[in-house]
Amino acid sequence: MGQEESLEGALGRLRVVDLTDERGIYGAKLLADLGADVIRPEPPGGDPLRARGPHVQTDQQGADVPADGCTSLYYAYFASGRRSLLVDPGDATSRAQFSRLLARADVILFCDRHWSSELVDIEQLSAEGTEQILINVSSFGTDGPWADYLAPDIVAGALGGAMATTGDASTPPLKAFGELNFMVSGAYAAIAALAAVHARDTQNVAQRVDVSVHECIASCLEQVFMFYWYADGALERPGQQVLPRQGPTHWSNAFTVMNGQNGSIMITPTPDFDRQLAWLIEEEAYGDLLEPQYSDPANLKLLIGRTMQLLAEWVATKDVEALFYEAQARHIPYGWVQPLARVGDNPQLLGRDWFQNQRIAGRDIRAPGAPYHLSRTPWQLKAAPDSGQHTAQILADIGWQNDHE
Amino acid sequence: MSRPLDGLRVLDFSHVLAGPFATRVLGDMGADVVKVNSESRAITSNAPDHPYYIMWNRNKRALSLNMAEASAQALCRQLAQQADVVIDNFSVGVLDRWGVGYDTVSAANPGVIYAQMSGMGDHGPWSKFVTYAPTIHALSGLTSLTGVPGREDIGLGFSYNDHQSGLHGAVAILAALAQRQASGRGQRIEVSQFEVGVNFAGPSLLDLFANGVAAQATGNDLPYDAVAPHNVYPCRTVPEPSLADERWIAIACMTDAQWQALVGLLGSPDWATEASLQTAPGRVAQRAMLDKRLAEWTRSQDDYELMARCQAVGVPAGVVQNGRDLCERDPQLARAGFQVAIEEPHPTVGQTWADRLPLNFSQTPCDDYQRVRMLGEDNAAILEDWLGLTAEDVAQHEVDGVLK
Repeated sequence: MGQEESLEGALGRLRVVDLTDERGIYGAKLLADLGADVIRPEPPGGDPLRARGPHVQTDQQGADVPADGCTSLYYAYFASGRRSLLVDPGDATSRAQFSRLLARADVILFCDRHWSSELVDIEQLSAEGTEQILINVSSFGTDGPWADYLAPDIVAGALGGAMATTGDASTPPLKAFGELNFMVSGAYAAIAALAAVHARDTQNVAQRVDVSVHECIASCLEQVFMFYWYADGALERPGQQVLPRQGPTHWSNAFTVMNGQNGSIMITPTPDFDRQLAWLIEEEAYGDLLEPQYSDPANLKLLIGRTMQLLAEWVATKDVEALFYEAQARHIPYGWVQPLARVGDNPQLLGRDWFQNQRIAGRDIRAPGAPYHLSRTPWQLKAAPDSGQHTAQILADIGWQNDHE
Repeated sequence: MSRPLDGLRVLDFSHVLAGPFATRVLGDMGADVVKVNSESRAITSNAPDHPYYIMWNRNKRALSLNMAEASAQALCRQLAQQADVVIDNFSVGVLDRWGVGYDTVSAANPGVIYAQMSGMGDHGPWSKFVTYAPTIHALSGLTSLTGVPGREDIGLGFSYNDHQSGLHGAVAILAALAQRQASGRGQRIEVSQFEVGVNFAGPSLLDLFANGVAAQATGNDLPYDAVAPHNVYPCRTVPEPSLADERWIAIACMTDAQWQALVGLLGSPDWATEASLQTAPGRVAQRAMLDKRLAEWTRSQDDYELMARCQAVGVPAGVVQNGRDLCERDPQLARAGFQVAIEEPHPTVGQTWADRLPLNFSQTPCDDYQRVRMLGEDNAAILEDWLGLTAEDVAQHEVDGVLK
């Protein structure tokens, strides 16, 4: 897609102040990697998220440790492309600088309970006549009985409905790896900001957008609300308003992870049962699937159940890598379950030059690439800043003169 | 009142979940999303009366086009010339064959933002591979990472990556719109759902490349940070519960102060006041014992009452809510009007519902939720609004078999 690329990102003219914690920082990253000028203020002790793991393992002499001592790979990933401004809440000049920064922003991304909360008057920033767009990310919205509840990712995922779907009968409900719930609220925060920018540009309105992490998670649960609303009617699953957690098995029962001779593989006979059946016939593993009962459209559930049973027996005899490639050659969407180590060597990612280098703790480290590709204004990955690295530059940008210091 | 994307025209060639979720978000925010379907494709989960379709296609208008007909392809090209956004998640090359590929459309409509969402992207050795969300979860590492230590066969219980691909598609489209506002020019966007999925392991991939450490499933523990307790615990339930009837509560002490508050709730038993448990590393080292003790404590308690007691003293805790809980017991979702009973009955299903867009715009609220439209239900209105066709023109197209 490189033939018409330009150097500036899509959001090159957008000025953003990033006052987020884990709940919103992914949204600020999405904007920064698309070229917005995203300034992330830090208190004198440094951004609290610089303590989050994993960390670069440094040598004994500490040769890899950067000037500000930050070795957090969490921070390197989530704070990419920011500029850092030191703000001392106890210092009147610093507070004035911070206020001016906010006044010159197009978009302010804010999370309640952020270290800067005492410096941010969100009611004033969202009052009529203000020119800034305020994206206010909170765990449960601005009011209601749970508004003050504390919700790290595991609690947010529990209350939001994600955990109840994940795990199986031999495990408790499980959270997704890492903090995937907060990557949903982060993505929504970016959408809120960009939609508000569009409204400002086309309708001349500046506004506040409240983003509830709880609602964000609940809006991305695939089958959960569908079963509650339609199980007894259009879904024809009487009494199944709530599906129990069922491991890797999809709500349709037509996708699941099976174990082969040397690993796991996601197996499905969809979208073309006949194609899968033909393969099983070739392999003489079709059991009784040619019986007339399975070709009656009214017996789809029976067909799915029996097919999955036969597939499990068949897959157990297979080398999963060979099975995956053979399935894909037949346009059947099996998925080889990959450990993370193998994802780093994935031929598709390597074939697309997907990974990028990112400067972290004095080293160039291979890093995840773009989640999307824009033909004229490409996504760009830049380093996360050292603490306060851009303070002088930012103060100059906002017109803070030396005689004010 | 206006909505943020009022006036934006979106021509939607998407199906299943990822693409339709992107256009659902745009439609909820006021874009005029024209969903293109056809008689031959409107089956199973692509049929307007299938609950799966109903979930992702509210707030869109329905156009039916028989793309096997040259006249339908010509109409489609005219519609694409009027679109601000074209979104495609057919297999690579299908829209090109219909004459509405990026090169053709952008030549006639240089302002168009043309988003192509595919499983693997448009080039690379796996670009022809077919995928659904469970395929992507498996290939991207999300399945092997989500589970308990020693197992790689659990994974996520819903199509997380489809939702996220839709959201990322929307982010990219809105960014390109902002850029077009400045430059007047559109562009092409390519979204590989696989790359979206791999991206979610970002910090772990950096750990792999910087330190050679490959993350593995950690159950309900945080993979990198010393936090304990950080798990779910059983609560009081009906006798002999089914899996769906079980009650659980998540409790996470992210700080020593939160642990001390929890100890107070526990009644400060001797085991909990041990010096070794007053710091996070000490608690992490004794995680199994902590989990056992806490489960003994929670097992006889009501989940919602216990959550309220924990939160009242500053301990992060949350009931593991299922769909019924979200719909019937969750005061925050009720207060937000999250479940919307759509006013106009669906022609065949009757009452349908929407889960509200979780964004509350102060000046351009998104409170309008219209039912899913049947195949071709808006043909005449769309062709008049976008192309200025008369009722007679549309009737002739009907007769010619173009609109089916």
